[in-house]
Amino acid sequence: MDEFEEILQDFLIEAFELIEQLDQDLVELETRPDDLDLLNRIFRVAHTIKGASSFLNFDVLTHLTHHMENLLNMARHGDLVIDANVMDVILESIDLMKALLVRIRDHGEDSGLDVSGCVARLDVVANGGEAEAVEVVVAPVVQAPIVVKKSDEEPDYANMSDAEVEAEIERLLAQKQAEAIAKRLGNEEPAKAAEIEPDYANMSDAEVEAEIQRLLFEKQAQDTARRAQKTENIAPQEPALISAPIVIPAPVSQPKTEVAPIAKATPAASTTPTTPRRSESKEDSDSKGGGVEQTIRVDVKRLDHLMNLIGELVLGKNRLIKINDDVEERYEGEAFLEELNQVVSIVSLVTTDLQIAVMKTRMLPIGKVFNKFPRMIRDLSRELNKKIELEIAGEDTELDKSIVEEIGDPLVHIIRNSCDHGIEVGDVRMASGKSEVGTIQLKAYHEGNHIVIQIIDDGKGLDADMLKQKSIEKGIITEKEADAMSEKEAFGLIFRPGFSTAAQVTSVSGRGVGMDVVKTNIEKLNGMIDIDSEVGRGTSMKLKIPLTLAIIQALLVGVQEEYYAIPLASVLETVRISKDEIYTVENRSVMRLRDEVLSLVHIGDIFEVERVFDSSEHAYVVVLGLAESKIGLIVDTLIGQEEIVIKSLGEYLKGIEGIAGATIRGDGGVTLIVDVAALMQMAKSVKSTIGSESGEAKKIGVKNSASDYCVMIVDDSKTDRTIMRKSLEPLGVTLVEAVDGVEALNILKQGDHYFDAMLIDIEMPRMDGYTLALEIKKYNKYKNLPLIAVTSRAGKADRMRGVESGMVEYITKPYSPEYLMNVVKRNIKFNEGL
Amino acid sequence: MSEKLQQIINRQNQALVGDDQKVDEVIQLVGFIVGEEEFSIPILSIQEIIKPIGWTRVPQIPSYILGVFNLRGSVIPLIDLRARFGLPLQKHTDETRFIVMKNGDDVAGFVIDRLTEAIRMPKRDIGPAPDTISESETMIDGVGKQADRIVTILKVHKLLERNF
Repeated sequence: MDEFEEILQDFLIEAFELIEQLDQDLVELETRPDDLDLLNRIFRVAHTIKGASSFLNFDVLTHLTHHMENLLNMARHGDLVIDANVMDVILESIDLMKALLVRIRDHGEDSGLDVSGCVARLDVVANGGEAEAVEVVVAPVVQAPIVVKKSDEEPDYANMSDAEVEAEIERLLAQKQAEAIAKRLGNEEPAKAAEIEPDYANMSDAEVEAEIQRLLFEKQAQDTARRAQKTENIAPQEPALISAPIVIPAPVSQPKTEVAPIAKATPAASTTPTTPRRSESKEDSDSKGGGVEQTIRVDVKRLDHLMNLIGELVLGKNRLIKINDDVEERYEGEAFLEELNQVVSIVSLVTTDLQIAVMKTRMLPIGKVFNKFPRMIRDLSRELNKKIELEIAGEDTELDKSIVEEIGDPLVHIIRNSCDHGIEVGDVRMASGKSEVGTIQLKAYHEGNHIVIQIIDDGKGLDADMLKQKSIEKGIITEKEADAMSEKEAFGLIFRPGFSTAAQVTSVSGRGVGMDVVKTNIEKLNGMIDIDSEVGRGTSMKLKIPLTLAIIQALLVGVQEEYYAIPLASVLETVRISKDEIYTVENRSVMRLRDEVLSLVHIGDIFEVERVFDSSEHAYVVVLGLAESKIGLIVDTLIGQEEIVIKSLGEYLKGIEGIAGATIRGDGGVTLIVDVAALMQMAKSVKSTIGSESGEAKKIGVKNSASDYCVMIVDDSKTDRTIMRKSLEPLGVTLVEAVDGVEALNILKQGDHYFDAMLIDIEMPRMDGYTLALEIKKYNKYKNLPLIAVTSRAGKADRMRGVESGMVEYITKPYSPEYLMNVVKRNIKFNEGL
Repeated sequence: MSEKLQQIINRQNQALVGDDQKVDEVIQLVGFIVGEEEFSIPILSIQEIIKPIGWTRVPQIPSYILGVFNLRGSVIPLIDLRARFGLPLQKHTDETRFIVMKNGDDVAGFVIDRLTEAIRMPKRDIGPAPDTISESETMIDGVGKQADRIVTILKVHKLLERNF
């Protein structure tokens, strides 16, 4: 049974692959009905599926494909002209075939679907093509006559003696050989072979054996003959292909075709005649394809696992780079640095290459999705009575498998929409001076780290005023909102749930669901939608989608002491503005960005960040775009761009609004990733605090007595600390001591005290003064905390380093107590507040 | 001689079996202090115990969840047990530890004030949770009595359960 399962799986995979190409070919066939290559290709699909399904005992599928094959074979022989009506029936049967295959995949059986209606139609069309023929069975097709003619011509094996059977076999052999020779001369269909098919049902076991022997022999003879013929034919045209590829397919196809009759000799009467041609067609396609295909099938799960591992590697690489930077700073000029540098750059280079390589294995051409559209357009244009042409470009553009899966639905909706609402009826088009045939262009191309899919129609275009009017009618927006809308924003209305311009619901559109689906799916992929339209000229819709989902480029931003990662795919630009460029309109903060009004939201308001210190006069605005909407996100600092790996926050914290996940940074810390779609939703309800910067910071600054001032002394020598303490005690300020940089930093982080100044020794174990100063300045909160170096290092270089690391004063030991006191007093603005 | 040997082996086997039975009845717990009280959890539900490391605040969650931290590449939530139990917050000290607990696939780190010891406690010394606490709501699995003290045993799955 397992073996059967395996064969079944192979069959299904093969069948679905064949079908994918089929739709495209069929639509092409309608425009070029005389293309024999195309016809042959389509015929082969029906044929292959029929052969395999009869072997696997899928009778319904066999029945259907058999009749399809009949019809196609007639067309192939020029007995039938394929027009739109015939095509409709063929397409219908193909759909049915697909449905059957899906059923087999899901349920393991092909019953439950009625094919008789379709089969009847297939037959009628076949007859229509053949004027004199009344019944299908006598149509001049290979398979059909078997059943009928068999009884006339076939000798009755059951009544023969052994000797007679022997003689009969001899006769058949001779006939076969003659045929084989005939075949070598002209590439004739083995129609005759089929006609003399013996009646297997009436045979005894021995007879069946003999018959099988006969068929085997016959096949071998044919194969040899054909191979010889092939080599002859191909040699002059394609000399490069002679050597290996041509010979290889033969042994492959041979066992396949032989297995079929042996395993099911008795009931397989209908398969047997088809097998010779099947092997031939296989050989055809194989030798045409230029040899053995260089691919293997891999389970997607394995690729996903590989991708996850690469993700970890990327994080490790980021970490390594960060450590390398730190080491470089610390041991400047040391010889081993060079080596370390080399290793780090090689590792990061290889990691990047590896990542790209693995990503590529997951890439599929977008043609996989595009393939179904020619068929769709054809059906729609017939249904809507419009003439529509589809132009496809860039179907080779590749993108990640998961995205290919997600992009199909949105495209279907957009294209349906273009057909239904965009393209006008022929007369209207003619009246407005356009060609009668409407055109929809479907293009895909790369743009940086994105793939752009563009759908352009030359229909009537979007009318911004009409869209607004409809939206108001449907209660989607208020009149006031409508007035404030730009043209582009108005175009965006078509994505609102419940919006529809169609006067009535048709089978194609009008329910107001489709475009909402488009928006949701594109947002899920972190993509953007851009609509351009001109009334009377047409509409262009641009979908911009990131190439992959797991490892992304992100912009890191800081707010207070927190960092957030924003997917770079959603970042349009960043601008630095001064606070007075922010206006308030109806309780919302907005700014003017070129000719647009951009609504603003502070990242701190979204993520409830405590506003401890007053930010500077300037603010950074990250302009975010998603699907068709835009928003400006105010942040305190821009850190930079980094490659991040998305990790989930786990079961316990899942579903937090505005957070898409987390990533681990080079320093080992966790940074949260902003969910831009959710953020835009949240921005609508968030209370704005921009402009009303917290009063808290000022409160902390209020000093009522000398002991409210707090100064930290950082020195590893007890004596030095005591000297400083003694010098400052007369002031009455609170003094806190730390023995080295690490401890000082910890005290600072604990936040028990609000320090007004720090006295820092340079030479200290664990963490020296410079490093401490650099660390402190990393915190926004301490940007303005005066750091005073107290040291015996008096060199100019030392002073320079002090300044570089953020020290404001530089006191050299020894010093007088008064001098120290004055410096401190000046820096903490002592008494000014009292 | 061989009879004697057999007897010895038998005796040894019996002794071993007896040991096994004893082990079965003993639960191994790890005790720790939060606030004034000593709590404990079964040692098998502990993935590891680490010294405090940096964490990242996560918005829009209850205040007893401090945020998330990086445990060798995994992003894990960090929960402050003081806050969880409604006690006033305290600065981390040298004795503060993160206990990383797991229950199936659920993993989270918990901040505790300090560790006490690993406790081996016979099952018969463990009583049920006080009646005043409703069965479904309580985080207390039982109360262990020892000569000089009482140890509250917590339900790890309850601690790891998302309740917001």
